Amino acid sequence: MFRRSEYPQGSVLLVVGTKRGLFLISSVDRQSWNIQGPMLKGHRTFYGILDQRKGARLFAADNGDFFGPFLRYSDDFGANWHEPEHGLQFPEQSGEKLAAIWTIEPGRQAEPDVVYAGVDPASLWISTDGGLNWELNAGLATHPTRARWEPGAGGLCLHSIVPDYANASRIWVAISAVGCLRSDDAGKTWTFANKNVRADFLPVKYPEFGQCVHRLIQHPRRPEILYQQNHCGIYKSTNSGDDWTDIQHNLPSEFGFPIALDPHHPETLYVVVEDAEARQNVGEQFTVYRSDNAGEQWERLTNGLPAGTGVGLGVLRHALCTDIKDPCGVYVGTTTGQLFASSDQGDGWRLIAEYLPSIYSLTAAVLM
Amino acid sequence: MDQAAPIPTVPVSVPPALRARVGGRSKVTAAGRTIRELIDALDQQFPGLRFNLCYETGELRPYVNIFLGHENIRYLQGLDTPLSPGTTVAILPSVAGG
Repeated sequence: MFRRSEYPQGSVLLVVGTKRGLFLISSVDRQSWNIQGPMLKGHRTFYGILDQRKGARLFAADNGDFFGPFLRYSDDFGANWHEPEHGLQFPEQSGEKLAAIWTIEPGRQAEPDVVYAGVDPASLWISTDGGLNWELNAGLATHPTRARWEPGAGGLCLHSIVPDYANASRIWVAISAVGCLRSDDAGKTWTFANKNVRADFLPVKYPEFGQCVHRLIQHPRRPEILYQQNHCGIYKSTNSGDDWTDIQHNLPSEFGFPIALDPHHPETLYVVVEDAEARQNVGEQFTVYRSDNAGEQWERLTNGLPAGTGVGLGVLRHALCTDIKDPCGVYVGTTTGQLFASSDQGDGWRLIAEYLPSIYSLTAAVLM
Repeated sequence: MDQAAPIPTVPVSVPPALRARVGGRSKVTAAGRTIRELIDALDQQFPGLRFNLCYETGELRPYVNIFLGHENIRYLQGLDTPLSPGTTVAILPSVAGG
């Protein structure tokens, strides 16, 4: 059913994780889109991503409903799915129970067999054979403060993994609601990277840890620059996370989940801030916000996005992404199953799917 | 001298969501003195099935029900519920979700 010939070279493939399965939505011209799915039908699929470093391996975080979370992979665009030989299961003696798999992150280009996964309860898992076997990162699992880590509303989730492309020993992770941590020794030890990030819900507003970071990304050309969307603001670091600067500026809310950037113009950022109480667009206009100057000033992108009485759309932390074409495509999926796409860096938007299940995640690949 | 009782082999009904794990079958058989041993035996035959049914720490997942005849093992001795020849076991998901 899902043949490689259906996904020609150069086409954009959106991998869409939803509450009821995984969808592949593809286009050769970013105008007309073809929807395939659902695969893993009925399963809460938190995340999906295509790894093209060696072929085209599709990974999915299949959290099912009743019968346990499983990381799965497919080498034929979802026609057949496989489980790892040794998957994501905690050792019995650890006392931990895998609640959900939140993210799967292919490693550096120079390490094509390395794949990372982040889960709830917050842990980092690493495969060095393309996803066939997985190991728990002991350094994070035995962090001296771990007993004091508190979950966010969605769980104690490790949702962002950023292997530094410029430093093979450095990696960042982001956990709700613990904050950002950085390792400079390939994961053996971890230190917090939360200085100047607020936690308004705690008695100490700038604690060492306990912040609710929602998403963490790295600048693609300046490795020392990171961005995060947090429960309490949007932040930029220019020193690898040693400290952070608030870049909310003229955004109408500090609260949101996702953040993305234009890979060809990395000073161009995208967020979808929300009414923090309602968890939907501020006012009655669904809006994506863009900054062309790394967060100094934000503009509202609304051309083609819905507005009116009753329009209240929410976007989760993994449901905003860009592609690597220039001008970049921007894609945003809502918790009510609408998928909007822009082929011009967000200037104009079209609804390309409107009745999907609740969208958990979006990743975009340009097929090689 | 009494001989040790043989370990009972029981039929196990498998819900649709797990049939891919057991080669597409709706019924399988395995041997065990208790439900816990039965699950271990099933996992030997069908690797990964234990994780479908139980957490890493050993307890049954909350939305997984195992019936011994018509009795839910949660109201018997749980995973230590003993098995005897002639009994049947059924694995069923809870009526839950949304």
